[in-house]
Amino acid sequence: MSTWRERWKRWLRPPRTLKTTRVGRTYLVLTVGIGLGALNTGNNLLYLVLGFLLSIIVLSGVLSERVIADLKVRRLLPEGAFAGEPFPLRYELTRVKGRAFAVRLSEADDTLSGWAWVPTVPAGAPVVARADVTAPRRGPLALRELRISTVFPFGLFEKTRAVQLEDELVVWPRRGFTCEPPTADHGLQQGEHGNQRHRDGSGDVQGLRELGDLEDARRVHWKKSAAVGRLLKVEREREDRQQYTLRIEDATPGDALERACEETAALTHRLLSEGNDVGLDAGGRRLRPGAGPGHEKRILSALAMLGFQERSS
Amino acid sequence: MMLAQRRKLRLRLRDLAALSAFSAVALSGSLPLFVIGLFGLAFFSSWLGKRPFSGRTVWSVLVLLAAALVLFGLVFRGALDLVVAAVSFATLVTGHRMLSEPTPGTDQQVLLASLLLMAGAAALSGDVWYALCLLAFGTFACLALGLGVVEGPVERDEELPLSPVLRQVSFGVTIALVGGVAFFVLFPRLSWNVASRPQGAGLLGGTTGMTDRVRLGGGGGIKTSARIVLRAKLEPMPSASRLERYWVGRHFDVFDGREWRGSGTDKAPQPRVLLGEVRDALVQRVELLPAYDSRTLVGLSQPVYFGPATAYTSGAPTPAMLVKSTYEEVRFATEATSYSYVVHSREGFPGEDEPPERLAELARAPEKLDPRVVELANRVVGDETDPRRVATRLERWLRSNLEYSLELEESDDPLPHFLFVRKAGHCEHFATALAVLLRVRGVPSRVVGGFFGGERVGDRYIVRAGDAHAWVEAWVPGAGWQTFDATPDDGRGSQPAQLLASIIDTVERIEELWRSRVVDYSIIDQWEFVRGLIRPPAGSRTDDEPARAARPATKTPTRAIVAAVAAALLFWLGWRRFTRTTRRHPAAGFLGELERRLDALQVRRKGEELEELARRLQREQHRLATAVTAATRRYLEARFDERPLTAKERRSLLEPLS
Repeated sequence: MSTWRERWKRWLRPPRTLKTTRVGRTYLVLTVGIGLGALNTGNNLLYLVLGFLLSIIVLSGVLSERVIADLKVRRLLPEGAFAGEPFPLRYELTRVKGRAFAVRLSEADDTLSGWAWVPTVPAGAPVVARADVTAPRRGPLALRELRISTVFPFGLFEKTRAVQLEDELVVWPRRGFTCEPPTADHGLQQGEHGNQRHRDGSGDVQGLRELGDLEDARRVHWKKSAAVGRLLKVEREREDRQQYTLRIEDATPGDALERACEETAALTHRLLSEGNDVGLDAGGRRLRPGAGPGHEKRILSALAMLGFQERSS
Repeated sequence: MMLAQRRKLRLRLRDLAALSAFSAVALSGSLPLFVIGLFGLAFFSSWLGKRPFSGRTVWSVLVLLAAALVLFGLVFRGALDLVVAAVSFATLVTGHRMLSEPTPGTDQQVLLASLLLMAGAAALSGDVWYALCLLAFGTFACLALGLGVVEGPVERDEELPLSPVLRQVSFGVTIALVGGVAFFVLFPRLSWNVASRPQGAGLLGGTTGMTDRVRLGGGGGIKTSARIVLRAKLEPMPSASRLERYWVGRHFDVFDGREWRGSGTDKAPQPRVLLGEVRDALVQRVELLPAYDSRTLVGLSQPVYFGPATAYTSGAPTPAMLVKSTYEEVRFATEATSYSYVVHSREGFPGEDEPPERLAELARAPEKLDPRVVELANRVVGDETDPRRVATRLERWLRSNLEYSLELEESDDPLPHFLFVRKAGHCEHFATALAVLLRVRGVPSRVVGGFFGGERVGDRYIVRAGDAHAWVEAWVPGAGWQTFDATPDDGRGSQPAQLLASIIDTVERIEELWRSRVVDYSIIDQWEFVRGLIRPPAGSRTDDEPARAARPATKTPTRAIVAAVAAALLFWLGWRRFTRTTRRHPAAGFLGELERRLDALQVRRKGEELEELARRLQREQHRLATAVTAATRRYLEARFDERPLTAKERRSLLEPLS
């Protein structure tokens, strides 16, 4: 929700902003020069050139307005995004009449770098454009405004229209570096870790799950994997599968918390990749140990929001 | 179209834009030859895809520095004008950028440098081809820029339809050109055209029909030229479509055996020159066009009065002074592109008074004269002594015994060669032969250079370069100078091909329009234009003078209103065409009707989407819930699932909502 100050500023802002491109600046200097030459000398051919140059400027304004005026945009958010890493932000553009050219889409929030480019948007058929955007920090990110710009038709001016489009994106913490594996939860060990034959791959089948990045490929159930199109691992009773609960004791906002979040995110990924169950206990929120990509996203989202609920509540 | 094809097309358009701008400068004839050669080389290399400066920044800087130094040196030595040097440097920069790495940034640099060339060309020249070059440059440059813009900051090798881009940019260029012309017409001129260079003789060049010497052995190619050199309005205006009369330009009275020249002495410049009595004279308002390319004034035989005269040189007309060269010609004191003046002529005018010693000089034959010429004169004339009859006999003999021909042979002694060997020649040969034969017989004579003929076009007579002619004037005591023409009738007027004549007429008309409507356009023309929209033209009071005079002087600006309405209509039609729906979905009509009915029933909230409305009505168990849900679902299917609506379905879906 925007504040009254933001709303006031938005109300005062002109509906379009115009920026001169580099070639546009040179063009303007030449136009002024030719205009002064025409006025000074009365050379009619210079007047003719000047008339053409001024018409081009007016025409640029009309055609660029036509491009950005009738565009409708919908923002398609990604499932998640890591801070400091580019993530795909997609925009769906539709146009009822006419065709738009050379459209550039970017977020009004200046902390988000990256933009999407669409060469042409035909009438009646939606076009999806992708921007590789980078968010600098973890946490909830309020996306309020979108900038639709174009340099069409001649690249002399960049006309921008701001569109109100409110969304919220949760930015996961950057995955930091970790070298110390944590201690597994006591008494929660499953399988036959102490058994000398725990690595022979025999034993009763407990279930099937997706093969992690660092896991042994010999455990792949090839028939099932071929059937579903993903690498599936056979879990047996004797597997070395441990549970971890990652803790962040101090949830006071600051550098220490950021570092802890980044380390925990990295650790979560590593442990889950090794086939372990990982839980989280941070900032008064507990997630029971679990596995799989969905569980990792839950942990990352909890880490992203750590320190922010308190601020907003 | 894929990336490689798109890039090739863009570069071709860019190069063509640069070539158009270069042509505008090069056709002014001011650029040094080495600059023209270097640009030509750059253009063809770029066209073939060879770009030697690509990635060679140091070489690029050195080459441009060297070019700048050479040009500066030429300016310093006085060999090159500063403006020409600046334009030459811009030409070299354009060529250099064309041979560099082909990026969108380089394209823009090429086009901006080309724009400088167009501005330079405007300062260097003002002929009609400039308009063509500007048109070509504008079109190609805008298309190249448009393609570069759609390509985006990062070139991607993916399919991209270019025809919509080209279509829209082309339409935009047309609008821009129309806007440019409107600006040109309406923007108030605050100063006269003072900086432009003198214009040349136009796209077809000047002619050399009126020279200060007549040299035998020269070519007769001018007889086939269809260029219009002068236009004249006669008062009273004869009704004949062809005016078979002599237009006197210049007299030549000294012959050295090979060429004729005048022996006149110049008098002080004056605004008018009076040669004789002007009563009952034929008045001619003459315009000497740029193709005339001479300062000699011309008038129907015999001119008795010249002036007042006006000279036109790239801008406002200025009064011109006239110089009388005694016994020879009347000419303009200053050089200009074109002139206009008034001349009075009388057919029976005997010419200026000639003292006896001068007449004796004009009756003296050249010292080194072939004896066969003397023998011929005596044989033809016999014992006749009356100057008129002598001249008539010689004229008749030359006409009947020699042939007219434009195909000439070189000879050391051209007159005997013409009379006794070749026995064919053009008007200068016939005139020379007659004048010399007359002098052999002691009759004072001189050769006259001018034009013969004139064809009626509209309310004027035009004279072409091919009408250039030479004839003879012989002094007849008591009657003064009398005209005699030994040239056969078929060799007097111009002999252009019909097709060529009509093409040249068209070009001349365009050039005339260009000069009067563009190059010399001034605040007075603007005033006339605006006044013309409000009042009838000033010169339109002709037949119905009393009736017209009875009407009020200031009229309702009907023309202005009609013109404004027509312009607005044209603009609206263009805009409608420009902004029309390109691909309207068949289901859009159904949606429009559905929304209209829902609004009429007042069930839809402001800004509520159709799907939201259907859900809300379901929740509220509204009586229209089922109908709205069915219509919404069917619309979405028709719009996005490619299951088109039939007319019957459409009616049945909308019926419950009426």
